[in-house]
Amino acid sequence: MTDLLTFQLRRVLRSWEYLFFTVVLPALFTVFFTKVFGGQVSSGAEYQDYARTYMVSMMAYGGLGAALGATIRLSFDRASGWLRQLRVLPVPGREVVVVDIAVGMLLVLPSLVVVALVGRFVNDVQLSLGTWVSLVGALWIGSAAFVALGMLLGLALEQKAAGAAMGIVSTVLAALGGLWIPVEVFPAGFRTVSQLTPSYWYAGLGRGVVGDGALAVPVLVLAGFAVAFALAALAVGARRPLHAVAG
Amino acid sequence: MTPALEIRGLTVRYGGTTAVHDLDLTIARGETVALLGTNGAGKSSTVNAALGLFRPAAGTVQLLGREPLAAVRSGGVGAMLQHGGLPSESRVGEVLRLVAGRYADPWPMADLVATTGIDGLLDRRTEQLSGGQRQRVLLALALAGTPPLLVLDEPTSAMDVEGRQAFWTTMRDLADRGHTVVFATHHLAEADAVADRVVVVDGGRVVADGSSAQIKSRIAGRTVRFGCTDRTGLDQLPGVTAVRGTGDLVELATTDAEATLRALLATHDRLPDLEVAGASLEQAFLTLTGGTK
Repeated sequence: MTDLLTFQLRRVLRSWEYLFFTVVLPALFTVFFTKVFGGQVSSGAEYQDYARTYMVSMMAYGGLGAALGATIRLSFDRASGWLRQLRVLPVPGREVVVVDIAVGMLLVLPSLVVVALVGRFVNDVQLSLGTWVSLVGALWIGSAAFVALGMLLGLALEQKAAGAAMGIVSTVLAALGGLWIPVEVFPAGFRTVSQLTPSYWYAGLGRGVVGDGALAVPVLVLAGFAVAFALAALAVGARRPLHAVAG
Repeated sequence: MTPALEIRGLTVRYGGTTAVHDLDLTIARGETVALLGTNGAGKSSTVNAALGLFRPAAGTVQLLGREPLAAVRSGGVGAMLQHGGLPSESRVGEVLRLVAGRYADPWPMADLVATTGIDGLLDRRTEQLSGGQRQRVLLALALAGTPPLLVLDEPTSAMDVEGRQAFWTTMRDLADRGHTVVFATHHLAEADAVADRVVVVDGGRVVADGSSAQIKSRIAGRTVRFGCTDRTGLDQLPGVTAVRGTGDLVELATTDAEATLRALLATHDRLPDLEVAGASLEQAFLTLTGGTK
């Protein structure tokens, strides 16, 4: 299985767009937003609040983008005929799915770690070592919800729709979930919509870990999303085998 | 020894249409067999069912005495699919090594590369291959496990003439080395040139099965051609199996050219542009599949 895992990892990492949108962009946003908004405050404590909040939001943004980007690609492998080809090679379909999930989970880590490093060493975010580890760990596990969503979209969508979904879904989830602009400045109606998105709760999970909110609710809601997406992905996968060309 | 391929009572349905009707086919080890038919004849459905790509409505398939998927996984069968493909963002060599590494007894890489004519392509990105190069890489994947049985579905469809010739030269070499080769094609010339057995499929049924010489002889291999505007009664002439041709030119396929000619001369004063020729496999094929396609 490691041969297929290495093979798939190398393929995703060849895409510079992927690295740009999942690692470079969230890291740049972390610096940019913190300097823009955090620069206007007077006290050091207030600055810490801004810097910490934006870092957590950008970790969530990078993490969900990486999880979605790495998994929606499954649709491209169906369109190219590679999944069908694998069916007549000694590479079981179940293994392909397991490896794609593993690739999605693994590739979330660079986004989380890089943004955390930028938060710590560029923006001077102060957290205890235990909190740093918990934060990265919690957001890593929480990204399973977006890996499941990506698998669902990758299995269900045709190539063109999947290509569009890669950019649109993470952008919409980031914007509505309050990852770019905090929910606090949203109008009341938007705030309700925001709470319907998994991205809001994903960032909420991070806020909970760093002590900026409750932890239990985000954990439960995110787990609920993960299970729902995974069940939907299983249902689509059962109806439409990996090697099916269309339909 | 178990046959290379044994299909019993295969029936394939898509929604309301039946693509393959109760088809039986046994292919012995070492044979080179063409499944010949027009598009929609049921070739691909037969091949895909034989490879276990879907569960047929009825019937059984055994490849080298095993279930299709087990035979594929063990490296007993190599296949080129009509809708198969290569992964993006990867190099040919990486794909080949991934696949070869999965077999207990892989075809030695250097020889595989030489045999399939993909030298110089190993470092190439899969997106940068021409149609013919792509098919040769897919052939290399099919051969990576040194399979005794090769199943190919329209393998030359994306190739130019030279690519085709090179491909079939490779196939003949493989057949000479003892591989069983089964391929679907609608190119009659390919079937004629490469296969030592031709199975003609039409409407999801086997309509003829034999050497290309036998297929031709089944309609006695003669065509009578002449200019004529009135076709009434021509199909009733002795020996005639099909009436074809365009416009004023009539083409009669006949099992007995002499009897057909005598009857024609007795009923027609003139037979302009009269010609009698041996039937090509193409004509034999058209006769076997109903003569109108």
